[in-house]
Amino acid sequence: MKYKIWPFVFILVWIVAGCQTSSVHNQPLLEAVVPVNVTQTALARSTACAGHFVEHRLDFATGIRIREINTYESNGAGLAVNDLDGDGDLDLVFASIDNTAAILWNEGDLNFRSEALPTRFTRGVATVDVDGDGWLDLVFTHRGLAPPSFWRNQGPTAEVRFLQQPLHGVEHYAYAMGWADLTGDGALDLVTGSYNVELQQHGISAEAMAAKAGVVLYEQRGAGFVALPLEQQAEALAIGLIDLNRDWQPDIWVANDFVLQDQIWLRAEETWVRSQPFAETSHSTMSIDWGDIDNRGTMALFTTDMNPYNISTVNLAGWLPVINKLEQPRGPKDPQRMVNVLQVATSNQGWRNEAGRRGIEATGWSWAGKFGDLDNDGLLDLYVVNGMIAENLFAHLPNGELVEENQAFRNLGQGEFTPIPAWRLNATTSGRGMVMADLDDDGDLDIVVNNLRASAQLFENQLCGGAGVVVELRWPGQPNHFAIGAQIALDAGDVTYTRDVRATSGYLSGDAVRVHFGIPTGSALRQLRIRWPDGVISYVERPAPQTRLEVTR
Amino acid sequence: MNQSLPLPMTGVAWQRIFPLLALLHPRRQAWPLLISLIVGLILGWAAMQFWGMKLWVGTAIVLVALLPALSVKFYHDWLHYGSKTIVILSILLTAQGAHTIEHIVQWVQYHILFWTARQSSGLLSPANAEWVHFVWNWSVLILVIVLMRGGLRNGWAYLLLGVALLHTFEHTYAFIRYQQVLGELRELGVTNVTAQGLPGILGRDGWLARSIWTRGTIICSVPGLTTATRLDVHFWWNVIEMALLTAAGHVYLLTWARRQPQENSVGG
Repeated sequence: MKYKIWPFVFILVWIVAGCQTSSVHNQPLLEAVVPVNVTQTALARSTACAGHFVEHRLDFATGIRIREINTYESNGAGLAVNDLDGDGDLDLVFASIDNTAAILWNEGDLNFRSEALPTRFTRGVATVDVDGDGWLDLVFTHRGLAPPSFWRNQGPTAEVRFLQQPLHGVEHYAYAMGWADLTGDGALDLVTGSYNVELQQHGISAEAMAAKAGVVLYEQRGAGFVALPLEQQAEALAIGLIDLNRDWQPDIWVANDFVLQDQIWLRAEETWVRSQPFAETSHSTMSIDWGDIDNRGTMALFTTDMNPYNISTVNLAGWLPVINKLEQPRGPKDPQRMVNVLQVATSNQGWRNEAGRRGIEATGWSWAGKFGDLDNDGLLDLYVVNGMIAENLFAHLPNGELVEENQAFRNLGQGEFTPIPAWRLNATTSGRGMVMADLDDDGDLDIVVNNLRASAQLFENQLCGGAGVVVELRWPGQPNHFAIGAQIALDAGDVTYTRDVRATSGYLSGDAVRVHFGIPTGSALRQLRIRWPDGVISYVERPAPQTRLEVTR
Repeated sequence: MNQSLPLPMTGVAWQRIFPLLALLHPRRQAWPLLISLIVGLILGWAAMQFWGMKLWVGTAIVLVALLPALSVKFYHDWLHYGSKTIVILSILLTAQGAHTIEHIVQWVQYHILFWTARQSSGLLSPANAEWVHFVWNWSVLILVIVLMRGGLRNGWAYLLLGVALLHTFEHTYAFIRYQQVLGELRELGVTNVTAQGLPGILGRDGWLARSIWTRGTIICSVPGLTTATRLDVHFWWNVIEMALLTAAGHVYLLTWARRQPQENSVGG
């Protein structure tokens, strides 16, 4: 009789164990620990507490030189943010579809000095230290018929700060790009994806498309890149380089427009294996972002699509003539739906779409969507920019423009979101690329949007409460100087906040290597835990709130 | 009464167990109906094949061909049962059954053939779905009320009434919004765009899915309630309604049949 209980005990233990290990990475048995030097700089505590964001117009606009915007000028351009000159302030780089790109040098107190960069017709931009010299370089993708261009940061002593140089071996057309150490050799690799429909619009022949379009992985080796074409079909609007199978190695996720399904490759040993881990995806996936929205230590993945947030009859009438044209053929097992999708990790190593349940399924004709703890309460909020301008689609609307309000959502906890118009982020200026970063060094995230046919906007964060911790990693002597791909966990009380260092995400945009944590008022910070890209761990004990930590390995 | 037609209680066993089958059985009209169907199919096929007519024309030809034989069949139902309620039940079962078949065809077009939602419009595609369903569901609701007033009152019937009310409410909501969107489109100078097929209350992008009151609640976790396509939502509305109508009719006919000999004997 006494033996009969053991099967039940075994099942119970198995269930409990299954639950416990369900949503975390496979931890290494032994952690190698490496010491780090930490420089702490106190952040100014903002005196401005308006309880909302304050809009500033920036000295940059794209699309204003085009008399009539049609597809695919309508897709606009991105921007990037990082400290390019080492003065401690985050600078901005804007791509432009109809003019030269521009750097807006941050001179403090949200004053910016504009400098044109002589590269034209750009789409996306990333600020990455391509050559591992400790200075962040610029890489642009271009409208139509050009491979990415590389602008090397020559440092403070050079006569010209940025000098265009070839990216040896990078020759395919690119619309979207992503940067990460994909091969584990320490150097940053590049993934590009073309937007074939635009290439066709530009009259590219099938032969040229076969030779220079598609998704390509460029492995950085020595002074150049070795191309590994992954797929010829691509309508890439965004590329996410993120670990999708929880093996600590970044995988490749290409977000495609139209009926072409998103393409995913997982790193397996020394090769790449095509995969489809999602039961549901966005249809015309416009951007990819990820974040630990419920502080469980796992990333939820968010993609945007076209879906009206406002189902009033007035708004639907504006959408209908276009929506009816957008319906495209479907195939068996097609996982695509024309909605935003939030992939949340499940206990069986899979993913489940919870965008509908969490209230973020529809944000309009959406472009960039990004997570960030905007109110410093320890929970990642969400901001999505939207709107569409295309005379050939919206001729029935004034100026061919679908005017929509950008959508801000406050995370209420456990990843449940609610619209928060009180933050006054509901601009109607047709945003495309977007970044979040602490531009005024006051410990909270500001937002910058590259609009189409309107000035770029900076939304200064004047929300009240909480504090911030900003972390920047340095790994001198390594080609991945800014530790792209590192994961940082901050223990505060009984909560752990997890972030990662990345070069690119969202839509056509480059992220700051500075990682922001929002800290609720009264939280005691216990420990900062850094998992470097090579798997080695570092600890920083009791970091102070409202500081910027420069952690050097 | 036509003495050559057996009353339900004097029929074979399956007719006593499933009186609905006896009701729906074409009886003397079996051959006329079959011939009408064959003629209709041939004519419909020929219209599509040789005159390039569309699927809905072919379907309409079949329905028109069936109409005389069906009318005679319903007349015979009246002669056979002598009850208006049962004749109405017979008509409603036939019509709602055909309507459900239309929804099943749509479901097959969408889920099996992978047509787009707009292409998956069943066999009578050009009919204005909003008008058709608005009129149809109000008609069904009225007929259900008439049936209940005529004596068809049992648990299934009350459930049917509830579902028919909700279904009609959903279509009324959709119809009003359809008219409003058409008005907005006219304001924009757009006249060549259909506004049919917009979400209603249930399903993806419907009122329930977008309501601030339901966000994050268990309602959004109920499979399909806020995520199903309109096509799926109305497939299930009709399947459920048809099932309830069948159950209500079955119970009613059993009761009615049990009463008949006693009433006959009393009357006799």
